[in-house]
Amino acid sequence: MDALRPGRTLRWVLLGGFGGLLALASVAGFEALRALENMHAEEQQARTAYLARSQALLEFRQGLDAWGSRVQEYFLTWSPDTPSDAVDGIQGVVVQIRTALNGWPQAGDPEERQLVEALRSALQEQEQAVNDGLAEGRTKDTARMNRYLHDEVLPRHDRVVQSEEKIAVWDHRHFSGLDAQLVEQFAAVRTRLSRLLVVILGSGFLLAMASIVYILGQDREARQRYAELVESRTQLSDLSARLLEAQEEERRSISRELHDEVGQSLGALLVDVGRLAADIAPEDSVARERLKRVKELAEGSVNSVRNIALLLRPSMLDDLGLVAALEWLAREVSRRGEMEVEVEASGVSASLPEDYKTCIYRVVQEALNNAQKHSGGHNARVRVEQANGQIAIRIHDDGRGFEATRTRGMGLLGMEERVTRLKGTLRVESAPGAGTTVEARLPEVS
Amino acid sequence: MIQATVLLADDHKLMRRGLRLILEQHPEFTVVGEADDGRQAVALAETLNPDIVVMDVAMPNLNGIEAAQQITGRHPKTAVVMLSMHSDESYVLRALKAGARGYLLKDSAEADLTQALQAVREGKSFFSPAVSRVLLEDYGRKLRRAGAEDSWDLLTARERETLQLVAEGKSSKDIANLLNLSVYTVETHRSNLMQKLQLKGIPELILYAVRKGLIA
Repeated sequence: MDALRPGRTLRWVLLGGFGGLLALASVAGFEALRALENMHAEEQQARTAYLARSQALLEFRQGLDAWGSRVQEYFLTWSPDTPSDAVDGIQGVVVQIRTALNGWPQAGDPEERQLVEALRSALQEQEQAVNDGLAEGRTKDTARMNRYLHDEVLPRHDRVVQSEEKIAVWDHRHFSGLDAQLVEQFAAVRTRLSRLLVVILGSGFLLAMASIVYILGQDREARQRYAELVESRTQLSDLSARLLEAQEEERRSISRELHDEVGQSLGALLVDVGRLAADIAPEDSVARERLKRVKELAEGSVNSVRNIALLLRPSMLDDLGLVAALEWLAREVSRRGEMEVEVEASGVSASLPEDYKTCIYRVVQEALNNAQKHSGGHNARVRVEQANGQIAIRIHDDGRGFEATRTRGMGLLGMEERVTRLKGTLRVESAPGAGTTVEARLPEVS
Repeated sequence: MIQATVLLADDHKLMRRGLRLILEQHPEFTVVGEADDGRQAVALAETLNPDIVVMDVAMPNLNGIEAAQQITGRHPKTAVVMLSMHSDESYVLRALKAGARGYLLKDSAEADLTQALQAVREGKSFFSPAVSRVLLEDYGRKLRRAGAEDSWDLLTARERETLQLVAEGKSSKDIANLLNLSVYTVETHRSNLMQKLQLKGIPELILYAVRKGLIA
């Protein structure tokens, strides 16, 4: 459980780290786009306004020039017989000027509004003066008209021109100002973006580094664990081999001890008891009876000790060799149960190494044990054949069999372990109703 | 009464002492030596040339069966009586193949020892009754389970007689004299019965006889 917890935390950290990074990048991107769009729109608007104002100023100036020269001409060339419709042309130009002024974009800036207002009032004043002059012209003479032009009309005209020039200057300045403002805005956006970029790159780099370090660490750890696993598996198999050996050794020594020490002492005891019986007078039936019981008890003990010793490790294996031990085992199994066991041996060397003898004996023992317990068969055959550089052991019973591919008990595993240790192979063939065959093949020792 | 010299070979001093004490009560037997392993038994048999060797099956440094084989190989006249804790056929048959004439179980050594020694001294075989019983049980069970007939029933009366006498250690000539037959006829009986009983050699024949209770 503890091993799993860091994994879950790590998943959230990674998700949060990379998710945050992505979110940050997207936000930065969107913001930059929006800022650029805004700037673009503002610039467009400013340019349009500037163009409109320039156009209006141009038309205004043209109109004003035209109007001024017409007014001047009218006043300078005035005579009583000047046709009255000459005034109409002047009025028409005034309308044109007014239209140009009305084409001025909606003023947002207070200074601009003030300037435009000033222009309008200057224009109105001049118009008033011109109109008054025109009205007077019908009664006055040429000299008076001239004076009126110089004293009243021209100064007012100059003021209009001045006012118009002020607007032109303001317009130009305003536009330049807007431009600077845009540059400033752009710089701000760029700074902001750069900062974000640095943050994103920085944290991305950190995150990537951390991930790389972590993954490499994990990888190293995994390799190490794998190596440890392989190591421990080897150790385990060594250990189990040594355990088997130790167990066999232990059994052998206990068996020997029982047989040699306890068994022999009991044997000697029986001899003594027999001699004692000969010393007792034939008429002393009580003593004879007691001695008989002692003898029976000792005989029972000898039997038990012998049987236990044989179960642990048959002395035949050491005294008489493998084949004799297998024959004894076969008879023992036959005596104990309903199954008759035959042993057939051919070419089995009398000088088989100890571990081979033990391995073969234990495999046969286990197989017969299984056959007797589970197969329900009446006959079993054990074949041991030493030929062509290997020893083949085959135990077959005529019992009910089983699903060899499915069932694999501890007994089979134990057999496999022993056989594998000697670099041999173990095969179990069985099918329901077809009996069971256990076959082991061991490479012969040179 | 025939006198006999005896060599005791057992790696357990207690056992040897017990056997010696039994034999001391029978003046016809003289214990001439004791060995506590197989190698020593072979060496002492060589120097003392005893009539009988009583030998434990399981001994260190050359077990009893191999020692018996060496002794009977060199001194065919020396009778070997095996002493064992096991009544199993594996031991009995191998003891017989090693040339042993008697097979005694340690549990009953006290009761059977002198009887066994007397038998082998006279050239007969001896097996502890318990051994005969176990062999007979195994044989009977096997026949019963296989549903086979006892091949004993296939033998003629003469063959049965011959079988018993061969098992008792008699030569063909002895048997011919005893039964008033020619040696050739005895040989024929002998080979016929061996074939009928599917026996390979004298040890198996003796084992068969023990199983059938013909000798004890």
